[in-house]
Amino acid sequence: MIRLAFIQFIRSGGIRIGLVFLLAIGVTSLFVGKQFAQRQQQGIADVIQFQQTDFPRQAAQHRDDMGLLLYYLKFSVINEARPLTALAIGQRDVNGSVQSVTIRGLEGQKYDADLTNPANLLLGNVDFSFVLVYLFPLLIIAFTYSIISNEKENGTWSIVAVQSRHLLGFVGGLFLLRLAVVMAMLLLLIALAIALLDIPLDGSLRLFLGTSVGYILLWFSICFWVASLQRRSSTNAILLLGIWLGLLIVLPAGVNNYITVRYPVPEAQATTLAQRKGYHEKWDTDKTETVEKFYAHYPQFRQVPTAQMPTDWRWYYAMQQLGDDESAGQARELRQKLEQRERASRTIAQFIPSLHTQLQLGELARSGLGNQLRFMDYTGQFHEKMRLYFYPKIFTNAPVLTEKWTAFQVDTFTDEAPIHPLSTLGPLMLFIALVAGLGWFRFRQTIYHL
Amino acid sequence: MLRTQRLIARQVWATAFKNRAVFGLLIGIGLLLAYAAVTGWVSFRQQNETGRRYQQQARQDWLSNPDKHPHRMAHYGHFAFRPKAPLSMFDFGMESFLGNTIFLEAHKQNSVNFSEAGFSTGLLRFGEISMAMVLQLLLPLLLFFVGFGTVATDRETGTLKLLLSQGVSWQRLLVGKSLGLLAVMLSLYGPAMVVTGLLWFGLQSGQVSADQTIRLLLLMVAYFLYLNLFCVIAVLVSARSKTAKTALVSLIGLWLMLTLVLPRASQALGSYLYPAPSKAKFLADIQADVLKEGDSHNPGDPHYKGLRDSLLTAYGVDSVQKLPFNYSGFVMTEGERISARLYNDHFGRLLTIYNQQNRFSKAMAIVNPYLAVRNLSMALSGTDFASYVDFQRQAEQYRYDMAQKLNGLQIELISNKKPGPTDKPYQIDRHHWEEIPDFTYLSPGVARVFEHEAISLLAFAFWAGLLGLIAWRFTKTLTAI
Repeated sequence: MIRLAFIQFIRSGGIRIGLVFLLAIGVTSLFVGKQFAQRQQQGIADVIQFQQTDFPRQAAQHRDDMGLLLYYLKFSVINEARPLTALAIGQRDVNGSVQSVTIRGLEGQKYDADLTNPANLLLGNVDFSFVLVYLFPLLIIAFTYSIISNEKENGTWSIVAVQSRHLLGFVGGLFLLRLAVVMAMLLLLIALAIALLDIPLDGSLRLFLGTSVGYILLWFSICFWVASLQRRSSTNAILLLGIWLGLLIVLPAGVNNYITVRYPVPEAQATTLAQRKGYHEKWDTDKTETVEKFYAHYPQFRQVPTAQMPTDWRWYYAMQQLGDDESAGQARELRQKLEQRERASRTIAQFIPSLHTQLQLGELARSGLGNQLRFMDYTGQFHEKMRLYFYPKIFTNAPVLTEKWTAFQVDTFTDEAPIHPLSTLGPLMLFIALVAGLGWFRFRQTIYHL
Repeated sequence: MLRTQRLIARQVWATAFKNRAVFGLLIGIGLLLAYAAVTGWVSFRQQNETGRRYQQQARQDWLSNPDKHPHRMAHYGHFAFRPKAPLSMFDFGMESFLGNTIFLEAHKQNSVNFSEAGFSTGLLRFGEISMAMVLQLLLPLLLFFVGFGTVATDRETGTLKLLLSQGVSWQRLLVGKSLGLLAVMLSLYGPAMVVTGLLWFGLQSGQVSADQTIRLLLLMVAYFLYLNLFCVIAVLVSARSKTAKTALVSLIGLWLMLTLVLPRASQALGSYLYPAPSKAKFLADIQADVLKEGDSHNPGDPHYKGLRDSLLTAYGVDSVQKLPFNYSGFVMTEGERISARLYNDHFGRLLTIYNQQNRFSKAMAIVNPYLAVRNLSMALSGTDFASYVDFQRQAEQYRYDMAQKLNGLQIELISNKKPGPTDKPYQIDRHHWEEIPDFTYLSPGVARVFEHEAISLLAFAFWAGLLGLIAWRFTKTLTAI
């Protein structure tokens, strides 16, 4: 009987159109991901190319003035994109994957925005995570909203009920059948993604797949529960679409509004203004005081002899340093505010599975705010490393041309923050158990309501 | 004979509110509208308050500078904070994806930083709840939920046959049903617009301009037409469908197509076909062009060598130190002129690419009323890309004028002799800082909206016409069973 049910299911025109449509968009999303990866590569190639031509040119032009040279040179760090990032682009299109900084004040450069077309950002990417999170549920709803109600409306349900020895098992079978088709679709897309994007078969991918499977199971359990209410097809459709709307549009957007209003970030502007003031007012204050403050921050440079130069670079970079030092408080507050946002949205997301899935996919693909914050931290460390390397050379005005400028490669940040499978899958599994259990419980009462 | 239509309309209204689920949905959407209004209001206040506070502080910092060399001031620079337009509390538009702080200094065009999106956890990508979003996205779906059965249920139950045999014409029936649905729509649209009007008035602190009034009125008209369209679509699809279930499924499919699939797909197509340069490439290209034309920071640059020689000949002197004005100020004026022009060229080209990327979703407005109302609403609310570009251009103009003013002061007031190692550094009096006005953003007039959103406006006319035509045709071809 299940075999016949399968044939009936797969022969229906609407189902086929749905499957073909989803497959087409799914494959498109992989190409969107592929293009995203290629543009990332291109961006990296551009910055390497620039560094390779700009460094020797600048070095030749400012060959007797190390301090002036370092005023201009921009060192770049790349936030490494994994092949998996192409499946869940997340915030990567908002936050640039390349940071280029001179060794001057960090706070004035750290937040420089990438070039973006806001219309693209507003409408969002058609990446795999979009297909999974938004479109798969719609397919599942279309497959299951009238499983029983349709039979009832056609008057065939009583025949099925009478002929079936184990009716709940039969209903379960109908759901499993559809689940199998949807899972096959998911696995097909993931397999294509692995081939197209060279995704390594590692733990991240397994967890990514696990989350995807969990999300689909969740939607099946929601549909199962709605079917157990034994309503009419159109009521089921409205109810399911309402749930979809709630989980994917209203609740997440509502939470977003809440977080934006609850945690505003005026600290961003405060940091920038403090940095500018901290640096610039030193032009008009006592020189030795500035340099002393600098030595208090970096005692190791007190011993370094200072070369006589037309420009007092030690003073200049001390001023820049103080711009950072004096805006450190605001910068820390900004950072804390962002962490609060991250924590709040994570906590809330545990209760909204769609949100949780999207955020976890982003986390696994290294495309969320967490990754961006870690990348900014790394940029800070990189900047510090460059400063410490060049400060003594600037103060002694070391000969520019003895430095091998082409040896300065673009640095890469690899995000290794651990991800716990339990915190990723746990909330999903709880929801699945809860909703499916509710459906099963309800079905036991209503299954013979003809 | 209007009575028949009224009767039918009242029946639609009564059925809608008798249905508990629909009633619940109406209340839900009403609450969402209220939530949207509150958050829109609060974030408008927050951002504009922050902007105003720091704009003032930045100005005070600027004015409190002591006597200085003008070029020091050119690097001290100023900030421009992007203010939100009053109607942005109604339609957030692209607001959250746009930066709101830009540092303006000599020789350097900085990026507009601190967009809400940059600080978002990724939640933002699910969208935001603004009143516009509720009216554009959720209310049409509600209308579909209420309206899918208007004619199809009558057909299923056989009431339709009765109605028609009693002499009610198709035309009256469809008009009546549409009017009923319209009444349901107005029960949310009305309060939403009243609230919008009140907030809009409150946010302008009593100074209401004609421009803003036109914007608000146009918004009201646009949304009214848009929602009307969905009432009629619901009734027509219901009239065409054999069963209420088919009508519902078709309407849901249509809604998903119009609001979810087509907008994303058309934008994705645009950005797929017209790749924009990376930031590194964009900046490298500008630098390459500047170096080609003349690098003011390079003493051996041929362009500036030519400039120097012609100056020396004109003034009949043999070295730049003997010129009667500050030569390095002159060089910087020239450098600023060249680099700003080249930057604007490249920026213009970048905007062309972005416009190409947006081309599909703009053109789609013709077939998709959702995109039409969305684009038009953002433009009228001042939260679209064009308004943002306008801000960037005004900020850049301010930056350029500030830099050139200070260069001018340097040419005029700073000695042309290099100071000796023991000399006091050259300075000018601090009262000059006041000669440069503060940055104030002037929002462009509503006429600009007509320029940018011609397609959307056209789309509205087109849809209104088409619907009338279809309704007229349907009255001739529809059947009762």
